[in-house]
Amino acid sequence: MEFKVNSKSLEKLLTKIIPAVPSRTPMPILENFLFELKDGLLTIYATDLEIALKSSLNVVAEENMKLVVPARLLYDIVRSLQETTILFQITPGGKINLKTDNGVYTISYLLPEEFPDIPTFPEPGSTSTENIGEVIISGNELKRAIDQTSFAMSKEDMRPAMMGTLMEFTEEGLRFVSTDGHRLVNLLKKEIHLTYNEQYIVPERAISVLVKILEEKDVKILLSKTYISYKVGDIEFITRLIAQKYPDYKSVIPLENENKLKIRTAELLSAVKRMLLFSPTNSRKVKFSITANNVEISAEDIDQGAFAKENIYCEYSGESIDIGFNSAYVNDVISHLQTEEEIYFKLHSPTKAVIIEPVKKKDNEDIMMLLMPVRLNN
Amino acid sequence: MRTIFHLDLDAFFVSVERIIDPTLEGKPVIVGADPKQGRGVISACSYEARRYGLHSAMPIKMAYRLCPNGIYLHGHYQEYCRYSEAVKNILCRYAPVIEQASIDEFYMDFTGCEKLYGSFFMYASFLQKTIWKELSLPSSVGIGSNKTIAKIASDCMKPKGITYVIPGMEEEFLRRMPVETIPGVGKVTLRDLNAKGFYKIGDIAKAPLQYFSSCFGQCGTDLWEKAHGRGIEFLSPGHDRKSISKEHTYGQDVIDRKIIEQTLFNLVSKVCQGLRDEGLQTSTIGIKLRYTDFITLTRAKTIRPTSDDKEVYETVLQLFRKNHTRRVAVRLIGVHLSKLEEFSEQEFIFEDEKIRRKKMFQAVDSLRAKYGYASINVGVAQPSKNA
Repeated sequence: MEFKVNSKSLEKLLTKIIPAVPSRTPMPILENFLFELKDGLLTIYATDLEIALKSSLNVVAEENMKLVVPARLLYDIVRSLQETTILFQITPGGKINLKTDNGVYTISYLLPEEFPDIPTFPEPGSTSTENIGEVIISGNELKRAIDQTSFAMSKEDMRPAMMGTLMEFTEEGLRFVSTDGHRLVNLLKKEIHLTYNEQYIVPERAISVLVKILEEKDVKILLSKTYISYKVGDIEFITRLIAQKYPDYKSVIPLENENKLKIRTAELLSAVKRMLLFSPTNSRKVKFSITANNVEISAEDIDQGAFAKENIYCEYSGESIDIGFNSAYVNDVISHLQTEEEIYFKLHSPTKAVIIEPVKKKDNEDIMMLLMPVRLNN
Repeated sequence: MRTIFHLDLDAFFVSVERIIDPTLEGKPVIVGADPKQGRGVISACSYEARRYGLHSAMPIKMAYRLCPNGIYLHGHYQEYCRYSEAVKNILCRYAPVIEQASIDEFYMDFTGCEKLYGSFFMYASFLQKTIWKELSLPSSVGIGSNKTIAKIASDCMKPKGITYVIPGMEEEFLRRMPVETIPGVGKVTLRDLNAKGFYKIGDIAKAPLQYFSSCFGQCGTDLWEKAHGRGIEFLSPGHDRKSISKEHTYGQDVIDRKIIEQTLFNLVSKVCQGLRDEGLQTSTIGIKLRYTDFITLTRAKTIRPTSDDKEVYETVLQLFRKNHTRRVAVRLIGVHLSKLEEFSEQEFIFEDEKIRRKKMFQAVDSLRAKYGYASINVGVAQPSKNA
């Protein structure tokens, strides 16, 4: 049994698939690719049981077969080769010889029976009882949405639902929400709809892999109760969803925040970055003293004997207020609004959530961030 | 050159007991475990009792054999804390920098104060007299150029002594003392030192540093420095607490898990109160388990920072149930909190529950501050057995 493949096209394919190969796992078989050769089409699978990636390319082959190949080793060899044709020779003794013009590389393979099943979605139009949603989004748009929201996901396993990004289909459009309990991002893409309303929580690991494979091309998304599938070109990415209820984020968005602060994003961001250097390492506390046309932001690290303050021009309508934040969180939030020229801080009191949003609204999207303050003890 | 005072309250627990009950004056008084139970050790004993060969940390059983006529007391810990606080308040009136090393030991930094206070010797005597006049507590003072010297000095002329080690005379002062005088030299180090022929501190000072550090590692280097009369010169008055722990030794070894879990609950309750009193949170929670055959194990787990009894107890229970695998009676059980950090003032978006508990603990803390620790207990629903 043998087949031929171009080294560069194989490398390109493996680069897309390898993110699903776990680096440490109690199931060693998962450190392999599953090769499936059928009618001249080579399909390669990788999974860590939570996420799975698959992609195919055409090869020159006469037989059909399935085998399990060590992922990291194969990837590293293929990656280090110049552009050439690789001949895969499968021997009955459990070895594969990879032959190039001037080299032979022998690796071992395993039988496919042990490889876990990869979740599949029923083909459109098939007679499945399960309700499968389908939506198409531009790859760029999805990537931007993920970039803007995913930073706020929680890293603590106290509330598993918060360790993912919520994709919620509503009448208004598709909403991306992520939060760790200290800050929250709520992004609405108005033009993306599904025929029904539903919530899907995509786990953190899936988000980080998805960002790597997204391209300009459109992405076809299939949704079931337990899995979500993203099709990007010839790659299919399937992930298990977090089967938990997402916290009720709508109820925590304050309505009574009437004190509006308007400020230039770039100026604030650069000042916050400097304050970050002076904030205490444990609390990262920074103080905003807001008056009619001025915000004084200051930070003090008593342990280091360091103090800094800066004044920034702003427009502010409410009563003067002193409010504390974790400067790392402020930095995160504002960095993700960098493209906006000016932003609003909508405040209520020094212990209540603050809404941060762009001054200029866009037609097709709405973004809102929520930041909880840090109590100032004075 | 710095001037460090070390003030040590003489037989502190016994002195307080004598204030409570003046008839104890002049009698051999022992504070510690109950000798009838036959378990535990002496916490403190009066100088009269020391004549019988008793000393602190001696097993109570042995003490009872040596001094059957002594007066054995269990102790009033809350009173000791109250008096300790009172002593600290007096010292704070006079000392510019103060560090409380334990319930009955204080370091003070009087560097540069000689112009203000005159002779250090006379000044130490003044402090001693003030404490005696106001609280009737005897104390000893050591004065030296660093903490180690001051501590050794205060121990020299107990009770009611004052020892001033003139700067530059440290090595001479230490030369003829036995090595175990150095704080930190315990049974094991002493045995190792003696095995290598070091009996007097002078012997250590004479040995080359390289030899010493190759034999004893970093400990050896420190020991060698101390033998030359050098030590830590700066006090750390702030609470740079690294950990909080509490242990309980059973009067009789216990095999019933329910009883042990109850003890753990009480211990957790106490350490968490300590945590909140200092405005701290813990993220590493550990247990210590000693079986009747003295096999001891410690296990720890890191969770997100908390000072909530419930979260700590759940972790402690998890650790206990996972690691208590032997069918052997338990002699000692302990809870250890480390990786302490200041209480976070970060507000939460969702966790109403957290805010409610925070308020509850504020109420508990203020009740306990007013009416004492035992006035109220925080209940925790028992997590299910297979949790």
